[in-house]
Amino acid sequence: MALERKRKRGQDPTPQKKQRIPTVFQTNEDDGSIHSDDDEPMPSGSSVGDEEEDETEDNAEAMLVETSKPSGSAIKRPPTALELRDIKDATDLYRSSSFKLQIDALLPNTRPKYQNSAPLDRFLESLHTCFNSLPSISPRHPLEAAKALLKQSVAVPYVLPLPGQDTNWKVGFEKPSEIVLAGSWANKLAVKGTDKQRYTVDLGVEIPSSLLQEKDYLNGRFFQKRAYFLSVLAAAIMDKKSGLHSEAVFSSPSGDSRLTCLVVRPKTGSNNDLTKLNVDVRIIPTLSASSPIPLHRLSPTKANIRTTASSEDASQDAPSPVYNNAIHVATTPKLQLLRSHTLKGLVSAYSDALTLLRIWANQRGYGRGSRLGIRGFESTGSLWTAVLDLLISGEDAGFRKSAKRKPLGKGVSSYQLFRAALDLLASHDFTQDHIRVRAETGHSFSPDDYPANNPVFVDATGVNVLSSVPSGSLDMLRYDARVTLDALNEDFTAQDPFKDAFLKDHREFQTRFDVVLRVDLSSAKLRTPSVQSTIEHGSLYNALLASLLSKLRQGLGDRAKAVVCLHSACEDRALTETDPAHSPVIYIGLILDIENAFRLVDHGPRADDPDPEAATRFRDFWGEKAELRRFKDGSIVESVVWDVKTSDERTKIPYFVAVHILAHHFSISDTDIQHWQDPFDATLRLPESITSIYQVAKAETGFKAAMAAFDGLVKSLKAVDEELPLGVLNVSPASEMLRYTNVFTPIAVPPSTPSLPECAQYLQPMEIVLEFEKSGRWPDDLRAIQKVKLALLERVASKLMESTPELRATVVVGDPVSTSDIMDTASLEIITPQGWAFTARIWHDREAKLLDTTIDDRPHIPAHIKRKLPGGPDPKSRQAALEAKELYVRRFIHAPRHHRAIAALCHRYTAYAGTVRLIKRWLASNWVLQKYLSVEAVELLSAVVFLGSARKASSSSQPPPIGVPGTKERGFAKVIELLAEWEWDKGIFIPLYGDEQTEADEVQKGSLDISGRDGVWKISTEFDPEGFVWTRDAPDAVMARRIQKIATATWKCLQNLESGDTPVMTMFWHPEQQYDFLIGLNAELLPRYYQNIRADPSVWDRKGKYANIGSTRETRSSPVQPGYDPAQLLFDDLSRIYKDTFLLFRDPLGGDRFGGVWEPRLKEPRPFKILGKFSATPVPKDSGKDKSQVMLNKEAILSEVERFGAGLITSITQRI
Amino acid sequence: MSTSTIAGFTPLRVPNASSSTPSTHIIYARLHSGSKKASRKGKEAVLPEGRTLFLVNVPPDATERELVLFFKHAGTVERVIFDGDSGDEQVENVEDEDDSDEDGEGEVEEEDAEAEEDSQPRKKRKTGKGAAKPTAPEVILLPPRPSRTFRKTGGTAHVIFTDDSSISRALAPSKKDRPWPTDPESPVGLAHYAALHASLRPPLDVVKAHADSYMELFDFEQAKKKQQSKYRKGEAIVDDDGFTLVTRGGAYGQTVGGGVGVASKKFQSEVRQGNGKRHRSKKDPQEKEAFYAFQIHEKKRNDLIELRQKWEEDKAKIEKLKSSRKFKPY
Repeated sequence: MALERKRKRGQDPTPQKKQRIPTVFQTNEDDGSIHSDDDEPMPSGSSVGDEEEDETEDNAEAMLVETSKPSGSAIKRPPTALELRDIKDATDLYRSSSFKLQIDALLPNTRPKYQNSAPLDRFLESLHTCFNSLPSISPRHPLEAAKALLKQSVAVPYVLPLPGQDTNWKVGFEKPSEIVLAGSWANKLAVKGTDKQRYTVDLGVEIPSSLLQEKDYLNGRFFQKRAYFLSVLAAAIMDKKSGLHSEAVFSSPSGDSRLTCLVVRPKTGSNNDLTKLNVDVRIIPTLSASSPIPLHRLSPTKANIRTTASSEDASQDAPSPVYNNAIHVATTPKLQLLRSHTLKGLVSAYSDALTLLRIWANQRGYGRGSRLGIRGFESTGSLWTAVLDLLISGEDAGFRKSAKRKPLGKGVSSYQLFRAALDLLASHDFTQDHIRVRAETGHSFSPDDYPANNPVFVDATGVNVLSSVPSGSLDMLRYDARVTLDALNEDFTAQDPFKDAFLKDHREFQTRFDVVLRVDLSSAKLRTPSVQSTIEHGSLYNALLASLLSKLRQGLGDRAKAVVCLHSACEDRALTETDPAHSPVIYIGLILDIENAFRLVDHGPRADDPDPEAATRFRDFWGEKAELRRFKDGSIVESVVWDVKTSDERTKIPYFVAVHILAHHFSISDTDIQHWQDPFDATLRLPESITSIYQVAKAETGFKAAMAAFDGLVKSLKAVDEELPLGVLNVSPASEMLRYTNVFTPIAVPPSTPSLPECAQYLQPMEIVLEFEKSGRWPDDLRAIQKVKLALLERVASKLMESTPELRATVVVGDPVSTSDIMDTASLEIITPQGWAFTARIWHDREAKLLDTTIDDRPHIPAHIKRKLPGGPDPKSRQAALEAKELYVRRFIHAPRHHRAIAALCHRYTAYAGTVRLIKRWLASNWVLQKYLSVEAVELLSAVVFLGSARKASSSSQPPPIGVPGTKERGFAKVIELLAEWEWDKGIFIPLYGDEQTEADEVQKGSLDISGRDGVWKISTEFDPEGFVWTRDAPDAVMARRIQKIATATWKCLQNLESGDTPVMTMFWHPEQQYDFLIGLNAELLPRYYQNIRADPSVWDRKGKYANIGSTRETRSSPVQPGYDPAQLLFDDLSRIYKDTFLLFRDPLGGDRFGGVWEPRLKEPRPFKILGKFSATPVPKDSGKDKSQVMLNKEAILSEVERFGAGLITSITQRI
Repeated sequence: MSTSTIAGFTPLRVPNASSSTPSTHIIYARLHSGSKKASRKGKEAVLPEGRTLFLVNVPPDATERELVLFFKHAGTVERVIFDGDSGDEQVENVEDEDDSDEDGEGEVEEEDAEAEEDSQPRKKRKTGKGAAKPTAPEVILLPPRPSRTFRKTGGTAHVIFTDDSSISRALAPSKKDRPWPTDPESPVGLAHYAALHASLRPPLDVVKAHADSYMELFDFEQAKKKQQSKYRKGEAIVDDDGFTLVTRGGAYGQTVGGGVGVASKKFQSEVRQGNGKRHRSKKDPQEKEAFYAFQIHEKKRNDLIELRQKWEEDKAKIEKLKSSRKFKPY
């Protein structure tokens, strides 16, 4: 044992490893029994006596080293060259190491398990044999052929124009000339689809050239032959004799029956079961490069659809680029396979980058999914490969003199390649600026062949991959890429953009689009139907959508950044169905350009326009809305004017435009268009019958009017300045009503108002802060200061009343709850002649110093010394001072500053104010606002979705960043999403003050004591780095979880909105069953009841029922009592009295009900305590429990509550 | 009617007949026994053992008058003290009332007590006090607030009877439950809130009179304090042991009374924050970095180690996320 006890001290060179000493030994050491061991000679030269002193210490140290060693040594060692390379690569090529690691973690989850593909290989083999053994079918009339196949219950999906009896071409079948495994599976590039979609294994089956003729490009003849070919294959697969045990269905990407292919899925349980691999085999008929159809006929300029009877008249037909492209696509599967194989070999990061790009796209609905996807992206797998191809191979110089895009280096990382792809998508406008990938063999068509104003992106195989993608969808793609790119460019330390880029589902409507319309197309009709365009787009439905989107795009113009159509993916159909089924409901999503979206007038051509057609076209487009107008500058211009009455309506202009176009061009009536703005607006509006009373009285309403009233008050204050003992230096507003964020638009109650019903008398006062010039005459005592404030307010009040005859001013001497005499409680209540109410308070900065002294009278002595010293401030007055200081800091330092910042934000982002109002209304109606969550905290949190949470300076001069909500509905949805997902324990930073200079001194002044806080929401700004000014006491952890729960439920509700069944109101209706007891109040006596979300008009319409009661109410002493809300007072009292007994909830906006939840800890009987803090009753004897136990006396408490609320409370119901 | 006691307390049943559902509130009562700690002279005087009843779970809105009425059957109640923790101040209050000769210092504490003292209007006491001093100006009161205050539930109270025998009567089981007497003068419910709202908005002239008279009193007290203060202009404050008190407040950065200079606040705060660089600012940093080769080497090595450490941390973080299945995008 002793040998083990080596010392580290002195010159002992023994390695640390041997210093292990059992713990038992250490404890024994003191009793001397082992002491003799120490006398044995030591290997080290140190003396025994020396050791004894340091023994325990040394041992402890040795132990410490021992335990910390394993982890420590691995890190303390410098990295090896290999590791270093990895690290360097990660930081250099992937921007940050954690980003790279996250990518590495993500990729395996999105790839199929290729190692399990043996059954698939077997199945493909049997398919191959099956196809190759098929007998030929001699050419026959298409209808006849279809009839024959129908016996095997397989329909032939002929396309438009459908073959008739008089068709002179024939369809036949021969076994495929080649069968190729194509697509992403063959190259091991497959990426998991959204919503548990299966992987697809594309099988290219080449149509033998012998079946085709040169003229098959005309009038869809190729497609008819293709359809027949496919049907024969389908019949063969379904044939029991084939032994494939599979089901097959037709699938038409984007609902285009020309692209119909066959999806084969072996039955579960058969020996070919592929469910484990989760794949579908898709059979795509292809066209060989040596087919008789001449390639030049497929150029976009060629007209291959003959609508006129005589084929000689070909020059009159319009070109059919979409149609031509659909034929051309049939030649590509094999070429694309080869191409991507080459690229994969060329650039090692190709496969990873493609996977990242496709995950990114899938998360945003650019692909197939069971949820609504963006139109045009159902079958665009080749787009993503083409994008990467362009980056790697560079641009072909066909469209302009010199290719702008040079090929990227080969050694780029997947992240870099992905970023470059996003950059291309974000910056390139494919519609205006056609682009094509450089191909070794060159391109077959001339660049001029491609139609202008249509998206063109030609890949290496010569096909325009964007031919059927609406340009609005590309705008959206560009927008999304921009948003992600911005996030990636931001400082990584603030927020990891990885989650947002790849892991988050961005397909939610309500957070994605500013305006969403749900349109039922079943009754839609094209104003000018054309056979040619129907055939060009493959079906009437597709033609309608194409026209609809281009018309909407044109009509909305610069109001919208993107106009997107979303619909559910075209579902696979049984083999007996010839036509793909379209969902009649589509969704139109708009991303608004806030600067132009709410413009009132659209200008058309001038009256003296040289092109006489221009005016006609304009009138034709807008219908009866178009009118010739003369403007102020003298010009006479064709124009469309959208007349709006209220500011609510103004935000609906884009919606009006869309509705008008849909009605004018497609005769879609109002009832078929659903929109969610009106019900949201309704939650912010007062009941009709109340507003009409105000209208009669000609009351001033609106935020602007309130602000004008404030300015007026400031003016009259300045006017009496001379007569006051101290000059007014500053008047700063600090009220929601003066910064556009009050739930309801402010309304003045002029004295002339006819008697308002008692439940609608509430007049909300606006808080303002008066700052007087500095003076040495203030007393140096906190209590005296409060009295001087009273005196000052009294002077102001009497002077104001002298100068403005109808103005009423009253000094409010205290606070209904607090009785502290050092707290700032005095205020001045002013009611202007117009009926606006203000509450003015006086800010005296000396108070802060005095309070600080009371809290800590010896700041220069360090805390640990002070603790030992006697004396110090008495704890009670210290507590009072702490409370007073908190109020002071919040009321005088933060509130006015917060007010200014929020008001500025409202000016910068038009949707911000509305968002805050909706969120406040929502929180209030869910009974958490005010007591559990301050309105300022709500305003801050709502600012997150506008400002982002990154620490970057944004000044008002810059254009608003992309991705900012343009309407309050989207803002609302975004805040709800934030609340549902926010991990509040991590806190959030909001760059609210932006370019304002933050000085340490300023921050210091506004700092708040946050020790012992209950609040868990850390919302920090530049001036409040601690982040608890507005959330110090609430919400606590319980409430924060509760808010999160409510937000999650609401978020689910929002996601269901798109189905059209859920009314918006459900989010604002609070379920009351969850409360242990409900306290019903007499709605007639609540001055705020009219603001209730479910206010019942009959409450205030009960005139004449009890005539005598009505008359007594008329004789109230003071007609207007600003801020008087007895329900709130009662609520505050109850919450305070029973703080430890139950939690109380209510809607501060006119709620006529309190909900209470018993403190869960009090549910069980517990021993009696003197300071039990709850009203207890002894446990009944017969319960067999210990008789000194007591339990909550619920009945007595509730009857007490009833007593306190006498006159107000009508009922108390307990949940049983 | 239960006669059993709970933890030494006798439960007194207070039926509430007026509410919609009948219920019984329980007040727990016990003979007050002085604290075991060195009981102070004052405490004894306030809560005389033997005739003080200690109550737990008094109704939150109970007023002194209501308690007096409730225990009327037992005897005459001398005083009621709510929420034992304000007892200390209460002591001083009582003493102060006994001998009206008090100095200015007491005033401040007195007010503290009043903030706690709930059962009576706030300013009432002060007048009494003001009046007691022949020279002090009188404070004109603001109209009183509604007298009913709501304490937190489950509160305590001491009821002091005039007679020892009352205690046993109060604790004795009675045949019939006594209902809670309500004081009609202090309303509850809506009427209470209406009255409160009105009482906080007194007429302007009352406010003015109150503020002015308060300030007069304040000035008077200040003047009195000044008179009593040992400090005379131009003289340093020297304590009994002969030490001069160095305190800020004199002219030109000097101590009160002059003579000695006092460090400025700015200086003090700088020292406290540890950036008192006055001396070192001119000198170069004491040690040169990256001067010797080994320093450079060590720095590089540390950088690498740090890099690796971060890498490992990141790795661990991702591993953790991975295990929580965060990397399934859909």
